[in-house]
Amino acid sequence: MIQHIDVHQIIDAAPARVVVTRDTTGAVQEASFDLSGLPRVDALLTGRPVVEVPGLVERLCSICPAAHHLAGMRALESLVGHSQMTPTAEAVRRLLHLGSVISIHVVGLIMTHPAEALVLRRFAKAAMAAAGSPGHFPVTGVPGGVAAPADPAQRDLCAQMVADALEAARRVAAACMSAPVPEDHFTGADVALVDDQGNLDLFGQLLRAVSADGTPLIPGARAEQWDELVVEAVPGAPAPKPYLKALGASSGAYRVGPVAQLRIGPVTTPVAQDLQTVWLAGAGGASSARAIVMVHAVEAIAALLEAPELVDGQTGHPWPESLPEAVGVGWVDGARGLLVHRYATTDDGRVRVATILTPTAQNEPWLADLLRTAVEDSSGDTMRAGVEDAIREADPCLPCSSAPAGTMDLEVDTVSIDTSLKGL
Amino acid sequence: MCLAFPVQITDITAGPMPMGHVAHGDTIVSCCFAYVPEAQVGDYVLMQSGFAVEVLDPDAVAQSFDAFADLVDQGLSSPFTLSCS
Repeated sequence: MIQHIDVHQIIDAAPARVVVTRDTTGAVQEASFDLSGLPRVDALLTGRPVVEVPGLVERLCSICPAAHHLAGMRALESLVGHSQMTPTAEAVRRLLHLGSVISIHVVGLIMTHPAEALVLRRFAKAAMAAAGSPGHFPVTGVPGGVAAPADPAQRDLCAQMVADALEAARRVAAACMSAPVPEDHFTGADVALVDDQGNLDLFGQLLRAVSADGTPLIPGARAEQWDELVVEAVPGAPAPKPYLKALGASSGAYRVGPVAQLRIGPVTTPVAQDLQTVWLAGAGGASSARAIVMVHAVEAIAALLEAPELVDGQTGHPWPESLPEAVGVGWVDGARGLLVHRYATTDDGRVRVATILTPTAQNEPWLADLLRTAVEDSSGDTMRAGVEDAIREADPCLPCSSAPAGTMDLEVDTVSIDTSLKGL
Repeated sequence: MCLAFPVQITDITAGPMPMGHVAHGDTIVSCCFAYVPEAQVGDYVLMQSGFAVEVLDPDAVAQSFDAFADLVDQGLSSPFTLSCS
């Protein structure tokens, strides 16, 4: 757990740091991405009124505020056993989430597809505004529901942008699907949220895990089961190396995010579904997966905008005046993948233990695998390019992940170990 | 976790990778504005690892400062060095 956060460490430019460990023959033993620049704030939340936690976390971890906002609200509601929202609350929250997914993915397109990025960013902002959150920090959710139904005028404004947004997302997907894909030999599982039919649902209530060959490992588990699903091998660390409990630490590695989202089950919207079929039959890759998920999000928003409950209906359930001593877990499948908030509370409604598990932390083992593949049998500029590609593929939540090829501020350190001394 | 902090833009030099500076308290630091082409001098932006990642409106700036200040109130050694026991 962190002891302090220095704001200069947050804002100052710092290279992405990769550590390659080689034995005395030069063979790669492992490669890892340094996540120490992404400290966890979990320990800073202890003792706080739990109802304040989602708002605080989304303002500190402000790259993906909507994802933290919604996962936090769900965790609060889990404390009191609310798992089903009213249709209006569900629709408005879903609109916010889908808009947020697009807005995060757009950052990576600003330098490579600027025209499409502009169209998609406007669309995403319009969707989030229609969901009641026109500013950077969302105010859509309240414990038990939403502050208000979507505004009909904002909904109509967003609806006018759907066609252009879908076309922009399709163009990005077409470009990404014809680009080279980094080598990926990851043998771990894919984890994402699904609906009760096993279809991808970025705002779903069920977590599904499938093995590398597509075999279901967890068909569909609820957030309340989280403690039985995933364990952090290094609890509280920036790189906690989480694993699927049922498979154990040695073989339970998994990844989250757009690649996992497309491999987890069918996408239900028509254009994205066709793209998913091509993607699954081809080389795959994260950049095209991100684009296809964006297409899906645009289509899903278009459908939501036509739902009558979005603009009319009961906004939520009554919220109790006091909270029980309990454990609550909430999640969403965001742009970078599964985000989990887990709050254990005292009988006076304060945090006893908070755990925020981000997609970046969960994908560190996958990134290490990609890095190892990239540095094996390569050197110099070739290795550097491969390392850049690996980082871009796993997309840790750092600005360097979106840097165009050849421009990533990168530091690769090599550490030598004498493997003959192992066991001494 | 993906922490970011609001800072104010003092200058921008246009280009494929637009660079410039931002003010954080009395400190001026270098910043890349490639991800926020709409940003202008005087705007507040969220900054992470040398990059501006989002332009903020005044309300959002205040909320972000308040969140960090909230942690400072827990007994931190300086306005922008946060710690916990």
